[in-house]
Amino acid sequence: MISVHNLVKAFPQKGGTTFYAVNDVSFSADDGEIVCLLGVNGAGKTTTMRVLSTVFKATSGTAEIQGWDIKTHPQQVRNNLGFLTGDTGLYNRLRVHEFIRYFGRLYSMKDEAITRSMNEMAELLDMKDFMDKKIEFLSTGMKQKVSIVRSIIHDPPVMIFDEPTAGLDILTARNIISFIRTCKERGKCVLFSTHIMREAERLADRIVMIHKGRILAEGSLDALREETSQTDLDDIFVFYVNQYTEGAKVEAHEF
Amino acid sequence: MNFKKIMIVYRKELMEVLRDKRTLFMILLLPVILYPVLIIGFNAVMSRQTGVLEEQGATIAIQDSVNTHVSARLLDELSKIEHYTLIPAAENAQSLYTSKDIQSIVTLRDSVSADGLITYQIYVQYDETNDRSQLTFAKIRDALKASEKSLVEEELQLSGLNPEIMNLIDVRRLNTADSQKTMGKVLGMILPYIMIIMLLSGASVVAADLVAGEKERKTLETLLVAGVDRRDIVIGKYLTIITLGMINLIVNLFSISFSMQYMLSQAGIDLAGAGMPIKAIFILLAAMLPLATLFSAILLSISTFSRNMKEARTYEQPLLMVSMILAMISFLPAIEMNNLMALIPIVNIALLFKAVMMNDYQLSHLFLTILSTLVLDVIAIWGTIKLFGTEGILFRSEDDGSSLKGLKRGDKMREHVFFSPYNGMIYFVLALLLLYYLGSYMQIKDLGTGLLMTQLFVILLPALLVLKIFKLPAKEILRLKPPKIKEVLLVPFIAVSATVLVALVSQVINAIYPFPEEYLKNLGKLFELDMPLWRSFLIIAIAPGICEELLFRGLMPRFFEKYGIKVNIVLTALLFAAFHLDPFRFLPVFLLGMLLGYLTLRSGSIFNSMISHALNNSLALFMTAFAGSSWLKVFISGEDELRYWLAAPAILILIIALYLFHKVTGGKECVES
Repeated sequence: MISVHNLVKAFPQKGGTTFYAVNDVSFSADDGEIVCLLGVNGAGKTTTMRVLSTVFKATSGTAEIQGWDIKTHPQQVRNNLGFLTGDTGLYNRLRVHEFIRYFGRLYSMKDEAITRSMNEMAELLDMKDFMDKKIEFLSTGMKQKVSIVRSIIHDPPVMIFDEPTAGLDILTARNIISFIRTCKERGKCVLFSTHIMREAERLADRIVMIHKGRILAEGSLDALREETSQTDLDDIFVFYVNQYTEGAKVEAHEF
Repeated sequence: MNFKKIMIVYRKELMEVLRDKRTLFMILLLPVILYPVLIIGFNAVMSRQTGVLEEQGATIAIQDSVNTHVSARLLDELSKIEHYTLIPAAENAQSLYTSKDIQSIVTLRDSVSADGLITYQIYVQYDETNDRSQLTFAKIRDALKASEKSLVEEELQLSGLNPEIMNLIDVRRLNTADSQKTMGKVLGMILPYIMIIMLLSGASVVAADLVAGEKERKTLETLLVAGVDRRDIVIGKYLTIITLGMINLIVNLFSISFSMQYMLSQAGIDLAGAGMPIKAIFILLAAMLPLATLFSAILLSISTFSRNMKEARTYEQPLLMVSMILAMISFLPAIEMNNLMALIPIVNIALLFKAVMMNDYQLSHLFLTILSTLVLDVIAIWGTIKLFGTEGILFRSEDDGSSLKGLKRGDKMREHVFFSPYNGMIYFVLALLLLYYLGSYMQIKDLGTGLLMTQLFVILLPALLVLKIFKLPAKEILRLKPPKIKEVLLVPFIAVSATVLVALVSQVINAIYPFPEEYLKNLGKLFELDMPLWRSFLIIAIAPGICEELLFRGLMPRFFEKYGIKVNIVLTALLFAAFHLDPFRFLPVFLLGMLLGYLTLRSGSIFNSMISHALNNSLALFMTAFAGSSWLKVFISGEDELRYWLAAPAILILIIALYLFHKVTGGKECVES
């Protein structure tokens, strides 16, 4: 499971100002649950996920992945985490099985365990034909499957998908979507980010709306519908953004 | 650190790199093909050309104004030269020579000495710059030499003397340099240069790919979230670069050695027993290994810093250029290895290489070279690991170039955008170039006036112009703010005690690494300018005190403010020391620079460091001016050595004065920055 507490990520800017990409964000995701981080481009989705996966250091606040604190136990956090993005690159000069084995070894897995896990995944994702091929000769869809196996080779309890379908064609995107569902069925805790409302609607058990680094709203689609008396997720999102903008205006007046 | 993970990264990177055909070509194939083709091809062309010249032959015009049996014999010998035609010199001989229809004009004359001996003078007209003409001369000379010998012998026999008398004195060479050393000399000159450049270019092909390449292909993030520590990633990649750099080096070394050996044997140099200097090669590889690690660390940091491979290759260029220049030292005949040279990276390897190839090196130099390179190496790899942990560097956005456009005057933003470390380095390099070209030109004619002009027009004026052009508030930026009375009272104590201490540091350095004579003579010139004392005071103390301060304590620190006051002081002091273009005074100037930087940045007033700088320089001037005065002898031993006991009071005064200064200034600037 994931639990995030008052997470802040600030970037110092030229001119001495500070940009708060993630500002006091708290939420959680349970095992067997799909939580969607929904927001427009530049809302802070990627930054949040990079902090959770220990690529970035949190400015303040913290988070736990499977009980491990990202600040004090980054190594354990990484070992319990699978991370996948839509525009992930691969090492073109490696063969598929070499590539997967490389990451398995980095996760301190034994060679037999890697082989077992790799064969199982190859079966599941129908990859047997190209396991010995060099990655540079693969199609986009095949490459995406390789990425999937790479992210889950160490069987992590938590999966983070950052805009997993961005830039993919419809068929490849479907593979990813169904893979996310498989993760849930296997009892994994899934956090995925998107700016596509339909995707959130179809997949998420709960939606966390994020805008300008702050959380606007959080809850199941039904709960959000009830609160805003809107049916369409687009309208729900706009409703909260407007509410936030008005609030900011009022705040500005007060000071 | 996890050794197992490091090896996993290392093995994967190595496999990936070795699958890249481009890299393989650069590292393995190119050196194997390049040298044999170059050297053997060059040889073949050379010998072919000589053959062609020989076959071309020559036409020689003969002007024989002697016409005796002797001249006939000489001409007979000339006519025996293959492919050569002799013609009698006509009126138009000179014009034929000019139009290259004939290659030489040989004129024979004779003269009679007082005791009746006839001697012959032979004038051979030829063109030294023309290969064909030169060859003609050599052939004529050899032919004449041969007939000279037999003619003299005959004459001696006729006079009843033993012809052996000609060999009365016979100089014979006993060359102690064996063939090993002969080959070593040739190899020692060219090899170090090629090796160093090959090592660097081989490693750079790999390095750019390893981090910048991962950024470009978007694989870096997956690696960072994998179960591996960043330090292990860096070290794994670092080992990859070292390995491939060394492989490249070894391949080069063998390829070039064999080719050179072939060339030398073709050139007729006796190589009996020389063979490949195997021992030398092992010593060299041991010495090159630290350099490989140093280059790898620097290249890796460049690769980490760069957004993509193209950028990495661009940033590698300055490193390549500096290395090339430093490596060229092996071409210079007079420079030999010593303890000081052993501390300068690249230069030390080049000189050591040369010495080892000639089997004439000291073990201490080898150790110093390895040690000093390793120290730099550790610093570089530590820096790379730091860099790899910096989010801002690892995920630098594409639109980093901020511009001044659209920012109005007085807007604080303007200053923040303009005063970036990058712009600071650009400014520094431009100032350095200006100093090197314009400054030295100004000082050729008249050192005194030239120095003053340098201060005003090379150091001060550009700084003021920059502020004017970019419409920045000069007074505020240069910290032209009156100091407190208390500060001004303390500065002389700080300046004098610091001057004494820095002078003592110089003396210690001089004792360990004596400065070259030539250098001291040049430095002395500065203080022995033939001018009234007030003028040298103006040129040596006042002008630098104002101009250099405005640049190095006024303008330059503004570029590095984001690093905080401490780093800023060290950085500007380093630049200040580098600006003096004088390796022997680097450390003393650096120490002074730190002190001056502290005075200004701490107090917020540049006048403090101006006074200190001027005092420091005038003290040096003062000591030269009053050298020889009996009362000065209390402080000075020998010619101009300060007495070492001076260190004690100087340290005491400096510490107290600095402490008080620190208290008086109260850190208002610290709060600001």
